[in-house]
Amino acid sequence: MVRSQSLSRELVLLGVLIALIVAMTVASSLFLTTGNLLNTSRFYVEPGLIALGMTLVIVTGGIDLSVGASLALVSVVMGFAYSEGVPLWLAVILGLLTGLLCGAFNGLFVTLLDLNPLVVTLGTFALFRGLAFVISDAGAVSQFPSWFEVFGQYYVGPVPLQLFVFIAAAIAVGVLLARGRFGRYVRAIGYNPRAARFSGVPVARTTVAVYALTGLLVAVAAIIYTSRVSSARADSGLGLELDVIAAVVLGGASIRGGSGTIVGTVLGVLIIAVLRNGLFMAGVPTTWQLIVIGVVLIAAVFVNEFFRKDEV
Amino acid sequence: MRRFAAALVLAALGAALAGCAVGAGAPTYSADDGKTKICMMPKLVGIPYFNATERGATDAARELKVELDYNGPTEAAAVRQVEFIQQWVQLRCDAITVAGNDPDALAPALKEAQRSGIKTGSWDADVAKDARSFFVNQATFKAIGETMTDIMAAETKRKGKFLIVTGSLTAPNTNEWIAAMRKRVKERYPKMQIASVQPGEENLQKGIDVTKSYLSANPDTAGVFGITTVALPGVAEAVRQLGLKGKVAVTGLTDPVIAKPYVDEGVIKKAVLWNPEDLGYLAVFVAKKMLDGTMPTSGAFKAGRLGDVKMIAKDEVLLGPPLVFSKQDVGKYDF
Repeated sequence: MVRSQSLSRELVLLGVLIALIVAMTVASSLFLTTGNLLNTSRFYVEPGLIALGMTLVIVTGGIDLSVGASLALVSVVMGFAYSEGVPLWLAVILGLLTGLLCGAFNGLFVTLLDLNPLVVTLGTFALFRGLAFVISDAGAVSQFPSWFEVFGQYYVGPVPLQLFVFIAAAIAVGVLLARGRFGRYVRAIGYNPRAARFSGVPVARTTVAVYALTGLLVAVAAIIYTSRVSSARADSGLGLELDVIAAVVLGGASIRGGSGTIVGTVLGVLIIAVLRNGLFMAGVPTTWQLIVIGVVLIAAVFVNEFFRKDEV
Repeated sequence: MRRFAAALVLAALGAALAGCAVGAGAPTYSADDGKTKICMMPKLVGIPYFNATERGATDAARELKVELDYNGPTEAAAVRQVEFIQQWVQLRCDAITVAGNDPDALAPALKEAQRSGIKTGSWDADVAKDARSFFVNQATFKAIGETMTDIMAAETKRKGKFLIVTGSLTAPNTNEWIAAMRKRVKERYPKMQIASVQPGEENLQKGIDVTKSYLSANPDTAGVFGITTVALPGVAEAVRQLGLKGKVAVTGLTDPVIAKPYVDEGVIKKAVLWNPEDLGYLAVFVAKKMLDGTMPTSGAFKAGRLGDVKMIAKDEVLLGPPLVFSKQDVGKYDF
């Protein structure tokens, strides 16, 4: 029953996506071209990767507002380590560790001190970006060796390499959530943390793992991002959390925890990408795009609640 | 059944939204009709200054019969600008001209545009020289710095200690102005001393706080410069709140609309800016001339309603001398 439920929700999302693609094609004749779609896909691999982790976080009933800030921190740690003489491969590993630590830090505070994730990550939202500004001292690193371009500027035929990274990550996280013990634990925690604890679910360990995994995905996104724009700076990823959380909620994950799928989230990312790129191609000012995204989000929450009442 | 209804609602909303957003928000022209298309990007959209440049740009586009796509990020972020440039390449703009948030970060995307046959230019804030053909400079650093210093000197009998409230301490344009101001003081006004430079971080409240605490600690200050569009109203508000109107002179650079209450009240007597409408107008004009291949590399050329404009380098156009406004004419500008 649950299966058919989420399947029909995803069919609706697919319908919305197709409707939007048709609308954007009418609005701009250059929207539905492989050149444009592949070019645009580069901008949404990073929020997409982070949205995969965010789905797990939201399914546990949590939230992570710090993802944009940790992306900036990872980027700056990597860039400035390199400019201070650390070999780039080591700087990349340092970046991955930084992301992992940022996520684990969030997870530990949420579980060990039993704090509300909204408040914890609001704190780290400021903390991580503050650190990024301190490390970079308002400067930027823009010179990287040419092999570093592989992560964000390399094409396999006409297809950007990072698109394959995203597809692989989406399949991996999707399987992790939908099948096997870990996914069951994640859903159980979000559905009812007390019941989960009494049924022997390792709540603390699972929660920390979910936040740490999100941190790691943020770090991968940060490496791709830094390579794509060949620039490490502290104002990177400003407002990124908005697009990420919007995609996850649009994809049908319940903000109260317990439900959500990776297929839904991927559709959510695609809808936001089509909206933003399509409106830009049609010459709609970006101020209007914010309004459209806001309205779409509220509509999505409304429709999702509709579905959920059905489920009871 | 409810599920079906919900599906319908969502689908209808999506379609309606897409439709109405396209309809409501499309101030420019329809895409791809064979007309020359100039794509122009401000540092950010939604502030009075860059709304004014858009008005001028729209005027020029109408006169020159070209299509204009004026769009930019909602926050002053270089990376968002990179993405917009890359999307404009897909949109097959004929020329792209940008006000850069970072000279280096935008360069790769602009060079990519050049390789696909698009002419590139910059205006308001320059990018790396090899990433654009021409830069439209609104006013030289020297002229802005000197004009602000001269106004202050005239109001303070050419002597005393002065505070400068700037944006961030790393912004290149404000630092160039400060350098020009120091040089002017040294050459012309030996009894004037620039005692301190404080950052207001483009935040009104910060500007007010910084000025207030500095003036309380240094009561012998003769005047305060606010040299960004956000810093100057902050400085003026601080001087007003401390009741120092008439005792501490205030000048600097800001939009007339923002400065008007303080100019009317007499806290600010004169302030400096260039005309952003003219800047937007000239940026489109230069883009069109680049496409026609008629840009000169020296001397001057006629730019529609602006008359003659000068080349100050082989790849740089100057809008003209800075604009000084005071109580008499502050009301006539709408930016």
